[in-house]
Amino acid sequence: MSETTRRPSGDGVAALPATRRMSIIAQDPSIRRKDGTILMAQIDIPAEDLIPGPMGYRVQVVDYDASTGRYNGAHALPALLDEEPKAWAAGSPKIVGDFRFHAQNTYALVMKTLARFELALGRRVGWSFHVHQLKVAPNGLQDANAFYSRADEGLVFGYFPGRGTETVYTCLSHDIVVHETTHALLDALRERYLDPSDPDQAAFHEGYADVIALLSVFSQVELVLELLRRGPGSGDTLTDAQVRAEALRKTALFGLAEQMGTEMDAVRGDALRRSAELRPGKAWLDDPEFQEPHRRGEILVAAVMNGFLEAWTGRLELAKVPGQKRHSLIRVAEEGADIAAALATLWIRAIDYMPPVHLKFGDALSAAVTADLEARPDDRRFALRRHMLASFAAYGIEPASTRADAPGAWAHERERMRYDRVRFESMRTDKDEVFRFLWDNRDEKRLNLRMGAYTEVLSVRPCVRVGVDGFTLHETVAEYYQVARLTPAELKHKGISLPPEYVAELERLRDEKRGKREESLRAAGEEIEAQPAPDTDPVTPVYGGGVLIFDEYGKLKYHVHNDVFGGRQSARLAHLWRVGQLRAEAEGARFSTERLSALHRSRAIGARRVPAERW
Amino acid sequence: MAKPTSVEVRAYQVGFGDCFLVSFVYARGAPRHVLIDFGTTALPRRGAKSVKPSAHLPRIAEHIKGVCKGRLTAVVATHRHADHISGFATDGASGGAGKIIAACRPKVVLQPWTEDPDAARDARTATRDTSRSPKSFVASLEAMHRLAEHSWRMALRPPPSMSVATAKQLRFLGEDNIRNASAVGNLIAMGKRRGARSVWAHHGSPSGLERLLPGVKVRVLGPPTLEQTEKIRKMRSSHPDEFWQLLGSARGVRGMRVAPVGAQRDNAGKPVPAEARWFRDRIASLSAEQLLEIVRILDDQMNNTSLILLFEVGAKKLLFPGDAQIENWSWALQDAPDAAQTRALLREVDFYKVGHHGSRNATPKTLLWENFAKRGAARRLQTVLSTMKGKHGTAAKKTEVPRRTLLEALEAQTELHDTGNISLAAGREPCEVITVKT
Repeated sequence: MSETTRRPSGDGVAALPATRRMSIIAQDPSIRRKDGTILMAQIDIPAEDLIPGPMGYRVQVVDYDASTGRYNGAHALPALLDEEPKAWAAGSPKIVGDFRFHAQNTYALVMKTLARFELALGRRVGWSFHVHQLKVAPNGLQDANAFYSRADEGLVFGYFPGRGTETVYTCLSHDIVVHETTHALLDALRERYLDPSDPDQAAFHEGYADVIALLSVFSQVELVLELLRRGPGSGDTLTDAQVRAEALRKTALFGLAEQMGTEMDAVRGDALRRSAELRPGKAWLDDPEFQEPHRRGEILVAAVMNGFLEAWTGRLELAKVPGQKRHSLIRVAEEGADIAAALATLWIRAIDYMPPVHLKFGDALSAAVTADLEARPDDRRFALRRHMLASFAAYGIEPASTRADAPGAWAHERERMRYDRVRFESMRTDKDEVFRFLWDNRDEKRLNLRMGAYTEVLSVRPCVRVGVDGFTLHETVAEYYQVARLTPAELKHKGISLPPEYVAELERLRDEKRGKREESLRAAGEEIEAQPAPDTDPVTPVYGGGVLIFDEYGKLKYHVHNDVFGGRQSARLAHLWRVGQLRAEAEGARFSTERLSALHRSRAIGARRVPAERW
Repeated sequence: MAKPTSVEVRAYQVGFGDCFLVSFVYARGAPRHVLIDFGTTALPRRGAKSVKPSAHLPRIAEHIKGVCKGRLTAVVATHRHADHISGFATDGASGGAGKIIAACRPKVVLQPWTEDPDAARDARTATRDTSRSPKSFVASLEAMHRLAEHSWRMALRPPPSMSVATAKQLRFLGEDNIRNASAVGNLIAMGKRRGARSVWAHHGSPSGLERLLPGVKVRVLGPPTLEQTEKIRKMRSSHPDEFWQLLGSARGVRGMRVAPVGAQRDNAGKPVPAEARWFRDRIASLSAEQLLEIVRILDDQMNNTSLILLFEVGAKKLLFPGDAQIENWSWALQDAPDAAQTRALLREVDFYKVGHHGSRNATPKTLLWENFAKRGAARRLQTVLSTMKGKHGTAAKKTEVPRRTLLEALEAQTELHDTGNISLAAGREPCEVITVKT
């Protein structure tokens, strides 16, 4: 659809168009056409009447530069594609220094990514910070960094002097804008994924943002076509050999990596090249180097991108007519872009089926397979599920679950739940109603909601499924979260062990605090209690939770959860202690989270934590 | 002259800093003196009075001059942090202490390879260098000093958007990383003097001290060169830049901000509409935090340019690692082809200058500390810690310097000499003498 689309409305007045088209830089300003102009693309985004900023119903661009203290102005964007300056559509190198274009490029890509999520999920996606507009600073800092900050409710893009005389703007890189927006959206959908957990979870935030960013770049036909033209093919066709996965890896993945501005590696850490080069292998997951979140995320990216190549080549093979020797370039590009878009949708839908805390790569894979199965039962065209499972297996990632009728998918919930006292309609929107459902089914035979842990329903959202008859069905997805704050003795009783050094440190701090207290009591001539109560011992919180998927009749279909007293807690706490994200304080545990800005920087410099060598 | 009969290490009280005069005593002939580092960024009070570096540093310099009778064999500047070199400055801030040292006419000025001024001169023009080239790396070190100076100045008069804690840390780190032109200039001049030479060393290279110190073997264990660290990467092609990358790359520090944080708000720009002001203020304060994050990384990287020197005198081994952190150490201890031999050598260390004022990152726990055979209840290992408590880091974050757990281990398992115990009172020696019999 373009801005010319008009829907007639009841009273005879032409309705406002639902979408509009905007020019953006296809990848970044370093990808040029032969004539030296920047390769541009046009994308459709939800149409709205913007006020200068631009500021719309979900995004507010604030072009303030904190490094110089300069406000570059509230930009008024062209209302229509035709009204855009010629330089924009033509990709004139001048647009690199045009702040108004920066505003358009950033606004359009943030909106496109938001729309991609909303379209895939079939509902509005609110930001995690509970106000409506995400703030975006396209030229916020002079710094080779770009990041999402929940506390600041926005995205900040830096700029920095390049090797030559030109300034490099991160807001002009398609992948970087989508990457940061994806962090914001993932945080909106799974607010606990930024919490300290297993190495997989921190890696997932970064890897997932890369996956969506790269698939977003590859879903542009203009760009894929340009990459294929630069490849080894002759004219307008490609041979069978040239569309094999290995050949496509060279022309598309490496081709793009070659073209992308390498100066931006300080920001994105060369994700594309690394994932293209990271050959399948089951050993990567246990390699010490890949315990760092920023390196570990590359395994996820490599698994998805390899699956993408296999699906692409597989589709071309499948669509061949007997005797066909060559493939039309345009068709190869279109199939590639379509598969990239379909794969992005699959991975966005997957979020609804992921556990709300302590995600492992295997959980993400089962979630992706299940979500795709529910929304797109017929997988014959692109065989995405098959390719994802095969590619992840090649990197040593096995699905967390499987079932006979659907390899890799979550198992159906089989226990009979009690629905007598809950109301179907309320269950679709109301957290309290869902909590009642949890409460009524808390016993061990049903949901096994552990007592001794505090439980909260985080969200209740509609989700879309396509029935076998092709009808769209609305189901409900609800997330709940559990936390138990227990003393070392209580944890031991639950079968959860704590790192001995950590316990010793807790005890030392507790005794120190008690000693000080007793000293001051003694000084004041007051009495000291003989034995402090055990419930004043320092506590360590453990987290768990689950996601509940209810079918169109309100019956529980899937229950994907992590037990708050589960077997993985001991290893998780040991890991967090080792890397310094779990600290002992007099009152108990203190968890620390790495900010995304810091994570990006560690990634850019390839920082390595060596906790064993620290004091 | 054969081999020295003993080694005397004078550990000077320089507050938060390092200053060691290592004297090799021979049966016949005059002792040979090597000054390892001379700098401070904070001095303890003398009673209720604060002590100024401009008064204290000349006092130490005069003491050194007295001990070495006006002749230094060599001067070592392990790395370019103020707390290791500020005493070499000849300007008013150091009270001209550097002039006193220069007058002792050291024959060798030993520094890490990253200080080679010729590399720096080339580097300024080599803007199209690959990220891994030494020239580019050295140029980035220069950029780091500019950044440090800028952030330090800003933190002295913090903009409203900067928190008190951020400003304090920026002042501390900024001050340590400031270029210190006077000290750097004096080190270069001392090396250029007739009869003297400069040596810029790296892992495995000669120290230039052997001929000057009969019977002493000096090994340079760090820092590694870019080529050396390059070899350790498992996935070389896909993992091109690791430890040196931030500084080594044209896109690293040179890409980082050098403009003031919110200093001139709305400088020549357009008026900020009401609805944009909340976020404007948020970015301004974020920007200060980002600056601190960068300066902290760069501070670590500078520590990692530290020389690590091992002196072997007869059967005795003395280890001086400057402020080297794990990234520097890991080449010598883990990744170099001769890492196993190095570990075997270091097992027998008799004297250890505790790395980086006792911070948590500079005495590799398993690779170095647990390997020291002479630590233990018998305290056969001598250690010296030059530090000042309460100056840096917080116990809750385990970043306090010196780190409590390290200090406990040093106290329990070694004969620890702590410069913090040396009184600054007039008439008292400003150092402790530790003798190692060979």
